[in-house]
Amino acid sequence: MNVGRTQQRIRWISLALLVGSAILLTILDSTGTLTGVLGIVRDPLTYISSWTTERTDTLAEVAAGPRNLNAALKEIEALQLENNALRKENAQLIEEVSESRIIRDLFDRAAETPQYRRITANVIGSDTNPALQSILLDKGFDAGVRVGMPVEASQGLVGQVYRVTNNASMVALLTETASAIPVRLGTTRATGMLRGGGRGVLPTIDWIDMQYEVEVGELVMTSGLGGKFPENLIIGRVIDVERNEAELFQRAVVQPAVDFSSVEIVFVVTEFETSNTGIFSEEP
Amino acid sequence: MESSGNGHIYIAIPVMALLAIVQSSILPRFPIAGVAPQLLFIVALGWGLLRGLEEGLIWAFIAGLFVDLFSLAPMGVSSLAFMAGMTPILLRRVLPPRRLLVASLMGALGTIIYLLAYTLLLQFTAFGVTISGMLELLPLILIHAVIITPVYLLLDYLLRITKPRRVEF
Repeated sequence: MNVGRTQQRIRWISLALLVGSAILLTILDSTGTLTGVLGIVRDPLTYISSWTTERTDTLAEVAAGPRNLNAALKEIEALQLENNALRKENAQLIEEVSESRIIRDLFDRAAETPQYRRITANVIGSDTNPALQSILLDKGFDAGVRVGMPVEASQGLVGQVYRVTNNASMVALLTETASAIPVRLGTTRATGMLRGGGRGVLPTIDWIDMQYEVEVGELVMTSGLGGKFPENLIIGRVIDVERNEAELFQRAVVQPAVDFSSVEIVFVVTEFETSNTGIFSEEP
Repeated sequence: MESSGNGHIYIAIPVMALLAIVQSSILPRFPIAGVAPQLLFIVALGWGLLRGLEEGLIWAFIAGLFVDLFSLAPMGVSSLAFMAGMTPILLRRVLPPRRLLVASLMGALGTIIYLLAYTLLLQFTAFGVTISGMLELLPLILIHAVIITPVYLLLDYLLRITKPRRVEF
């Protein structure tokens, strides 16, 4: 009888310990206390993750093949005539062409804004939680990446660095609910705040003044206000406008320019010129 | 906690570390119905079904920690959600003794509870999940209900080979 009661007590204590530990970890991590310790654990794991991703890239391209089935079948016929060594070489060349195309796009993008300092980084993983949207990069603190730095692909802005370890960093995508980016519209020049809607929801621009006639198809760019993002980084296009005359502000739904699921290489913008807000600090 | 002494609980650490890498770097490239299955959760649930709630909770706790290493979510949130997802194991005794059918049912039920707990817990962090976001994750219930069967059979086979002693609180 007593043994049974003791076992029951131990069972409850153990359960309370597990739940208590999880809650304690959540609190400590939210306050940033665990950053150093977790970095030590994350670094070797991200190194392995990077190695795994490199090998998965080829496999993923093979799996994506059926989209061009006819071309792929013809290519397979041609490849069958070649020996194994040539096949391997061919696959490597295809991979390199694909990568060089991405790099060429990135360099074109870099050439548009040579005043920014950037670091190129490979995407080596995605968020392990299905509800959250982030990507893992193979560059971290040692390469000069810091929390808050903007991250862009050749098509446009990807998000912002959220966590950094010595050799890896985690980027919160601009579609995440925690994301808030000051933006400007291309044609009307209206400004607002782009907020992520989370998984399955497109980001929206809040606080757009009603005096502007926002149109579907307008380009959305960073405004540079606040100094956290450089000016004129492309974000996407307006696909819907929610305008109610009874309200003070209107909203616009934005389709991001970047296909986040296919991003392989990105730029981390390490230095950029911020908008000159010095005039506001001067006394009249 | 009564330790088994043979360290089978500690196997969870390298197993979950390996699965977390697979979850982060490989599975997102091969999504099913737009979502990647939560492999760590399924393995923890499968282990719990075979070895009891106590061990399931420990595996879920460890799995959650590794998931959060590769996630925006604060450390510990996934552990709590995964442990909540283990609760259907309690129903095992009242269900018919058809192991695979029960495993499949547990996979679906556990996923529903895990997703609900996770959504609730995320509201306390900077990241929220909307209703439409949740709806996008619904295929996970079906995917997990299917995937748990081979995972369960594999774990069962491994357990029969290694014959680890049971751990109880």
